[in-house]
Amino acid sequence: MESQIDLEYEDIKGQKNAKSVRFIGDLDATNVETVLEKICNLFSEGFINIVADFKKLRYVNSTGLGILLHFSKSAKEKGGSFKIANVNENVYEIIEIIGATSLLEIYDDVEEAVSALQ
Amino acid sequence: MGSLKIEIKNNDLRPDVSIVHFDGALDSASVTTINRNFNKLFEGKRLYTIADMSKVTHISSAAVGELMGCRQVLTEKGGDLVIAGLNLDVKTKMNQLGATKIFKFHNDLRTAMNAYSWQIEQKPEKVWISFPPELNFVPPVRQFVSRITRQKGYGQRDSFRIETIVDEACNNAVEHGVPDKARDIELFLKIDRSKLEIEVVNLSDPEKINSLKAISKSILGTEEKKFERGRGLALIKMLSNDLAIDFSGKGTTVHVTKLREE
Repeated sequence: MESQIDLEYEDIKGQKNAKSVRFIGDLDATNVETVLEKICNLFSEGFINIVADFKKLRYVNSTGLGILLHFSKSAKEKGGSFKIANVNENVYEIIEIIGATSLLEIYDDVEEAVSALQ
Repeated sequence: MGSLKIEIKNNDLRPDVSIVHFDGALDSASVTTINRNFNKLFEGKRLYTIADMSKVTHISSAAVGELMGCRQVLTEKGGDLVIAGLNLDVKTKMNQLGATKIFKFHNDLRTAMNAYSWQIEQKPEKVWISFPPELNFVPPVRQFVSRITRQKGYGQRDSFRIETIVDEACNNAVEHGVPDKARDIELFLKIDRSKLEIEVVNLSDPEKINSLKAISKSILGTEEKKFERGRGLALIKMLSNDLAIDFSGKGTTVHVTKLREE
């Protein structure tokens, strides 16, 4: 059974090429391909600045983290960014252990991440 | 007035445990009978007492008060009085009288004995899970293990770390194992109050075993590095207190020890 993850999208006021994406559920090896497809679709549609709201992301494993690093790299290559906000302490610990805090753009909340887009 | 029978039984294998079987109505008139029987227990050495109340039809507030008093004496002597097998009506009545804040309740005698082994003897409990080598089986397995640790009193943070360890070890077993649905991956757990031991065993794919050996050698080394491959093993190593990988035989065994921190 694939882990449950839902992505909810929201426009960011004043930013035509940006989207806020709420991650809801668990991100792991069973659903990374689904998430990969959805985020890559956003890139293809010209949304090269993504603010990922992790407030309701309960769990991420090493495979999920790998895909986040991929999004960050892809966004930069397109001249945009993949920013992460509202990371819970358990998920943050996983990111930290892998040594990815310096590779990902992590913010306390969505407002701060959106401000950094300016 | 209802009739009440009380019988005290001992188990030779459990020298500290008494089982008191109640049969009938524990009404106000039964208080003297309860008191007389428990006085016998107070003089002995079997002070961890399980009240088997599966045949109790009614309980009065006076009887509940008497049982509370008995528990008080037992706990002062280093024992306890727990209750097993209540029917819903009697449990509701005890709940209304506030007894659920005083006593530990167990569904049946067996559960009460297991709780004794866990709490008093501090014996580990063992769980064995077997599942086909497919990724989709891993999330329910890891969540099940996490729930076991929560149920056993481990903290939220420990349970999350354990969920991650199990997830990564099982994912590796799927990724590096033989994709034969007939050859299940086996997960063994041994949990006690201070630590959890996890063992994941799979049938290794000969074509992937060398790359896994190389990754594990790198991860189990002491030098600090950014992990491009083998992130899962790196995570397990960092989240656990001991990690060992055995490639002997046809299978690979990943053994992890995680101490309880909270």
